[in-house]
Amino acid sequence: MKKAKRLNALALSAVFTMTVILTACSSNEGSPENQNGIKPPKEGEQVTLKFSFWGDTIEKKTVTEALKRFEQETGIIVEPMHVPSDYLTKLTTMVAGNVAPDLGYLSSGAALSWAEDGKLLNLTPLIESDPDFKKEDYLDQIWYDYAPGKTIGMSTAVEGYGLMYNKDMLLDAGVELPPTEAGKAWDWDTFIEYSKKLTLDDTGKNALDPAFNPDKIKQYGFQYDPYNMMAAVVSNGGNFLTEDGTGFGLTEPEAIEAIQKLADLMYVHHVSPTPLQTKSLPDMALQTKKVAMTVSGNWALQAFAEQDFNLGVGVLPKLKESNTLLDGAPTVIFSSTKHPEEAWLLYKYMADPESVLPLIAGGLWMPLKKSWYTDPELISKWASGNKAHPEGYTESFMKQTLENGIRTPGFEVKNLTKINALVTPALDLVWTGKETAEQALKGVEPKVEPLIQGYYGR
Amino acid sequence: MNTPKFIGLDNYTRLFDGTDQYFYNSLAVTFKYVILRVPLGLIFSFIVAFLLNMEFIRGKSIFRTIFYLPVIVPAVASSMIWIWLFSPDLGLFNSFLEALNLPTLNWLYSEETVVPSIVLMSLWGMGSTIIIFLAGLQGVPRSLYEAAIVDGAGAMRKFLHITIPMMTPIIFFNLIMGSIGAFQVFTEALIMTQGGPNNASLFYNYYIYREAFLFGEMGHASAIAWILFMIILIVTAIFFRTSKSWVFYESEV
Repeated sequence: MKKAKRLNALALSAVFTMTVILTACSSNEGSPENQNGIKPPKEGEQVTLKFSFWGDTIEKKTVTEALKRFEQETGIIVEPMHVPSDYLTKLTTMVAGNVAPDLGYLSSGAALSWAEDGKLLNLTPLIESDPDFKKEDYLDQIWYDYAPGKTIGMSTAVEGYGLMYNKDMLLDAGVELPPTEAGKAWDWDTFIEYSKKLTLDDTGKNALDPAFNPDKIKQYGFQYDPYNMMAAVVSNGGNFLTEDGTGFGLTEPEAIEAIQKLADLMYVHHVSPTPLQTKSLPDMALQTKKVAMTVSGNWALQAFAEQDFNLGVGVLPKLKESNTLLDGAPTVIFSSTKHPEEAWLLYKYMADPESVLPLIAGGLWMPLKKSWYTDPELISKWASGNKAHPEGYTESFMKQTLENGIRTPGFEVKNLTKINALVTPALDLVWTGKETAEQALKGVEPKVEPLIQGYYGR
Repeated sequence: MNTPKFIGLDNYTRLFDGTDQYFYNSLAVTFKYVILRVPLGLIFSFIVAFLLNMEFIRGKSIFRTIFYLPVIVPAVASSMIWIWLFSPDLGLFNSFLEALNLPTLNWLYSEETVVPSIVLMSLWGMGSTIIIFLAGLQGVPRSLYEAAIVDGAGAMRKFLHITIPMMTPIIFFNLIMGSIGAFQVFTEALIMTQGGPNNASLFYNYYIYREAFLFGEMGHASAIAWILFMIILIVTAIFFRTSKSWVFYESEV
């Protein structure tokens, strides 16, 4: 009896001690004075970094876990700040109030103009003095230079564009599957013909049939957010500004032709939903067979992989040359940080594909390092053998983005946010069929011209 | 976003001389909204309140709750619902028009109909105004109506010569509050239209937001905000001036 009592007391005190230790641990975890475990990199005070980012739940989880691992490996404490919506509003307020995070995602337009205002750190000195970091290891297109020789860093991830389609629908219609190699890309007429074959009205006639009723379309051959029209523009040899950066590129003949061809998909060939009709399409238009083919950035693969249909990928149809768009908002270090070296350590860590592998293998991101596009062993870690990266992905997205990926205007066009505030309403008129591309863009050109300031970093 | 520099009145001259291409446009859009929404809102809520105050209506508290309910729904949530109602292909409104063999509208997606659509949506959320009107109607002394009946007045005369005059202070209050609220319309533009199509719903407050948080022009945005303050001040002052000739206060008789 006495023995039992003593055992009880022992157990009790053990539990008690454990509780005290555990409580101590958990209360210590969040405090910056945490001295248990890993030694901080510098003598003296504990470094804490604040990292701000956006993203859905999967991205939030992966990024937070990567930050935690960084914390464990280096002893630098990282406070994740996830902002699910109104990101730029929040960041603008924080920067204006001098309480900016140390580093984080930023939209491209704000990033470059804030860099000019000295709100962001020029990373060039850090890169040059870092023996472990070689700029050449990373893709050439992803750097955000705000002046010659001055950079705010890299895009957070690479996003290449390509064709995505429901394989079963193409096989059913007897359409040959879109090529995955740049050299074999469909020309525009082939693309229109196949899109017509895949567009059906309510009686099941396709758009090649003279009796086809364009007012009662129940399946569209091709859907595409027309505001991503730059993919067609660059394929036709145009760009947002003229090469020397002094003129409005969208009013050049190549750009107008490309934009008109996109509008014609809706109003002449009736193979694409108009923006209004798109509003009524479900998010899962490919799975539900409302749409056969779509063009989107790489990130769409993540959602498609979770849906239940036979996903296929191919290179974009070409106008003049086969290429693709490369997109991605930057991650930056704010100049108000008190710990630039530690922030750079974290910056490098997050740029390493290994740190954020779940997002890359899951289809949301493409890696920043060249070796992940060329080394078969690294490629097999993400770009093949999983549902988000179907057969042909390595050719049509990975290789195409690396070799023929053309940066979106966000990487380099100055004053883009304000220019777009004029260009978007003008394009509204084109996509709603009220004006031709030439009328709308030439109409807005006189207003756009005074806002053109050329390219960053040139 | 850099350190502020004193530039005198430059931000204001930029607005008025037309260098800023959106200023007059957003003023026009906002005034269009206010002019539609304030009178319609007052008439609509007054009618609803009047009906709710009818003696033969049973279950008044249920109706009151129903009409007040939208006020509790967060503006973002109700905007999402209305996006679906307004949807050109699947929306309830267009199905309705189709069923009646009427031509369908593009609602939020055409320059002509976007502001009226947002006005329509705002009428749905007039619960507070209705409640205030209802309280006012219940405060009209019964003795006045009884005296009028004795004098042989019909329903119309009672309404025009008792209800309306007795309600003028409440109408005045709702007019002021409604106008101030209407000038500050914002959420609908942010959630549903982003100022589009072709800037046809670039409401003044959304314009301020865009300058400040998308373009990073804090100083310019502050200047625009000051002008809104002046506009509201002037409009309210005008209403107060005119109130002497049409608002009736029992205590002042």
